[in-house]
Amino acid sequence: MDGAAPAEGWIGTRLLRKEDARFLAGKGQFLADIRMAGMEDVCFVRSPVAHGRLNGITKPKGAVFAAGDLPPFQPLPAGPDLPSYRTVPYPPLATDMVRFVGQPVAACLAPTRAAAEDLAGLVELDIAELPAVVDARAAMRPGSPLVHEGWPDNAFITSGAHGGEFDAQRAAATVSIRRDLRMNRQAVVPLEPRGVLAYWDHRLDELVVYLSSQAPHVMRIGLAQVLGLSEHRLHIIAPDVGGGFGAKNRLMPEEIVVCALALQRGTPVRWLEDRRESFLSAPQARGHVYDLTLHADADGNLLALEGEVLIDAGAYALWPTGAFAEASMAVRNLTGPYRIPAIRLRNATVATNKPPMGAYRGVARPGACFAIERMIDEVARALGMEPAELRRSNLLTPEELPYRTAGGMRLDNGDYPRALETAREMIGLDAVRARQAAGEPDGRRVGIGFALYAEQSGHGLKEWARRGARVLPAYDTSTVRLMPDGSAQVLVGIQSHGQGLETTLAQMAATALQLHPDRIAIRHGDTAVSPFGFGTFASRSTIFAGGAAVRACRVLAERLRIIGAHLLQADPAAVVLADGEVRHGSAAVSYAEISRAAHVRQELLPAGMDPVLEATATYEPPESEGTFSYSCHAALVAADPLTGATEVLDYVVAEDCGTMVNPMIVDGQVYGGVVQGIGTALFEEIPFDEGGQPLATTFADYHMPCASEMPRIRIAHLVTPSTITEFGVKGMGEGGAIAPPAAIANALADAFKAEGAEFNETPCSPRRVTAALDAAGVAP
Amino acid sequence: MRLSLHVNGTTRAVEAEPRDTLADTLRDGAALTALHLGCEGGSCGACTVLLDGEPVRSCIVLAVTVEGREVRTLEGLAGDSVTEALKRAFHEEHALQCGYCTPGMLVTARDILRRFPGPDEAMIRRELAGQICRCTGYMGIVAAIRRVGEALQETSGAGA
Repeated sequence: MDGAAPAEGWIGTRLLRKEDARFLAGKGQFLADIRMAGMEDVCFVRSPVAHGRLNGITKPKGAVFAAGDLPPFQPLPAGPDLPSYRTVPYPPLATDMVRFVGQPVAACLAPTRAAAEDLAGLVELDIAELPAVVDARAAMRPGSPLVHEGWPDNAFITSGAHGGEFDAQRAAATVSIRRDLRMNRQAVVPLEPRGVLAYWDHRLDELVVYLSSQAPHVMRIGLAQVLGLSEHRLHIIAPDVGGGFGAKNRLMPEEIVVCALALQRGTPVRWLEDRRESFLSAPQARGHVYDLTLHADADGNLLALEGEVLIDAGAYALWPTGAFAEASMAVRNLTGPYRIPAIRLRNATVATNKPPMGAYRGVARPGACFAIERMIDEVARALGMEPAELRRSNLLTPEELPYRTAGGMRLDNGDYPRALETAREMIGLDAVRARQAAGEPDGRRVGIGFALYAEQSGHGLKEWARRGARVLPAYDTSTVRLMPDGSAQVLVGIQSHGQGLETTLAQMAATALQLHPDRIAIRHGDTAVSPFGFGTFASRSTIFAGGAAVRACRVLAERLRIIGAHLLQADPAAVVLADGEVRHGSAAVSYAEISRAAHVRQELLPAGMDPVLEATATYEPPESEGTFSYSCHAALVAADPLTGATEVLDYVVAEDCGTMVNPMIVDGQVYGGVVQGIGTALFEEIPFDEGGQPLATTFADYHMPCASEMPRIRIAHLVTPSTITEFGVKGMGEGGAIAPPAAIANALADAFKAEGAEFNETPCSPRRVTAALDAAGVAP
Repeated sequence: MRLSLHVNGTTRAVEAEPRDTLADTLRDGAALTALHLGCEGGSCGACTVLLDGEPVRSCIVLAVTVEGREVRTLEGLAGDSVTEALKRAFHEEHALQCGYCTPGMLVTARDILRRFPGPDEAMIRRELAGQICRCTGYMGIVAAIRRVGEALQETSGAGA
């Protein structure tokens, strides 16, 4: 894509990624690729039991550190800053109690990881085991063992959501469907596990921390606080990060301990998580338990939703926000893009003897979407309606937007019924109905399932403050620097780890600055390089970092205009910026000439103009309640009644994320999200036995979606630009992962609708499918 | 102990213990970065390299067993025409996001095209079953391999 800008500008262009070359050459610099002379590797000794009192540690000779061997850590309260929330400390190394299998108890150091593992194998733990709390629903019953002594029950926090005229709406109902639904706990599985390397840099007099992280600036705040270190002596670098998806956006005990060890020993200290540790102790996800009743009238109008949502949050809260967005977001998002006028919902975030939960792509909404979309199908079945028809009549129409949902969300714009119609057309609903009537030659059953969601993105200060967040990621920051030769660096506080933001942000800056993306470098992930920012999560980076970069570019563009006009002896109002030049009629002066004047030939500047071309801007959208992308997913599956194996035959997405900066990258995000969602739907789960032992700790027992099981995914784009963001973009990084569990479970139910089999728990593994078929009396 | 490894066409002496894996030895002993560790159990394929021309998961191969054999990582395939075509196609089909699986994916992709000329989508998907990518949903990867396979078919057809 060399040469001049495309006629339509850089927004909407399928620009190939600027970041690809280093990865294709095998020259990406991931955490394990960074080595320091004299570096020691860490192996953690972890609790082998889910709950117990730690009475003693027998240490071999060598560098073995337990909690008492390190200087005391400073308090680091995590979770919501709300009076109703019960806070407990999460010691980086266990002190008197262990509360999940895998909790770090001691750190062993050696010149190699293998030698550190040898040392760890010699550490003996004396633990008096206590009953484990494993199931979120059982945990909330009276008499349950307690994860935290002294609490009246196992809830970190309970809350509720009430909206609309609930009693009146329910009274009008003729159909009430009550169901238990579960989206079970799973791992997040970035392919690069976690990792950290810390050392004291004597020249800079600071602790340098290489961290596989989505949010280096935010992690600096937490690390400084817990280590008692001044932030100007702490430098965090997130190098190439091999996927995050939410799992690398919390401050983890291993990271704190490695920094403390580096400070204490004065040598570089490194920890590289292996896959088993990742399954044991990295932030886990989902873990939603629903008891819901959906009320509708005889015509299929949805009226009211009531019930309870429990979140299986694990033993501790991870800094800063733990898993505490899950419960409130689940209840607020349950009504989806539908006209459901009233809700009465309770929720509890429940402590269990499991690893602390974090965030995972979609946060809360995959569970909420699964729950409501399954219920909608059951209402349709109870009324004898086509599920797609029932959806169509209950979806909010463009004329009703903006719409305040019963959960309090302000859905801004779009055309939800058109997304449904598009997906319905693409998947060929009528043809599938005919195919079902004919039957399958191989004895399998085919079914079709739909699911829709609306995904809030770009939400600002009020929304985050309402949630009691300790860190409010309601803006982001960019510094744009024109170099003396007229090229540009755009420094941003986000961290790109697969999202292609080195390309997308360059396209946005290119448009605002009228400079070719090849002349723009995006710099991120290093607290010493980038201005403060919150990192990459919550589908936020294009909106916030893109917005900040565009605003800073506009400041520079205005200065380029004034200086350029001066050099051209023209009126600034009469010049235009295009392709790296300021033009006046047939005369032009290049950014290189302007920037040279601004940096080293200041005598050429207009009187009173400051030298140097650099600007910093922050950005928060003017509407604090965010802008909603949305989509309709439709799945066609074939299920084998004998084995319970489910194959996804076809998968379509009709989505609207507003203006697409780079359609190729948008598609890539949707594809990746959908496959993760199919993983949730069919394969991925970490079950725990009654003692709290995790039953999936390798890829042999934790099934990842692979190319061989995945369908070819087809995408249609609807484009309703946001009215509140730069260029009309909406956040879309997470959406693909939200709807697949719902669409696939609905497709399974559709395949066996004659017998009334239901699939209300993920993953819909062969065992669960055959159990559901047995329960419904389906003969294989 | 000291091992003599033939890696990417050159022989180098590296320090390794009998228990050390080929992956650790290539990364730590030979400072190669075009193989990554994603599971250390032979499941994810991120550490795939060629051993005497056959793809292996270097995380479950002991370094001492490869002495005298030919090891080739993605670094050592630079300039190989199929590999270069695959890299171009991966770039153009958006077949990578975070890049962590990419080197192993490319080594395997080249091997698929070596064994199956002009593979169709189903064949490519089946042969990729041992390579985990968490980011792309495999769409770009499958498209890139297919595209290079078709181009190679045309080339060999034209030459025949």
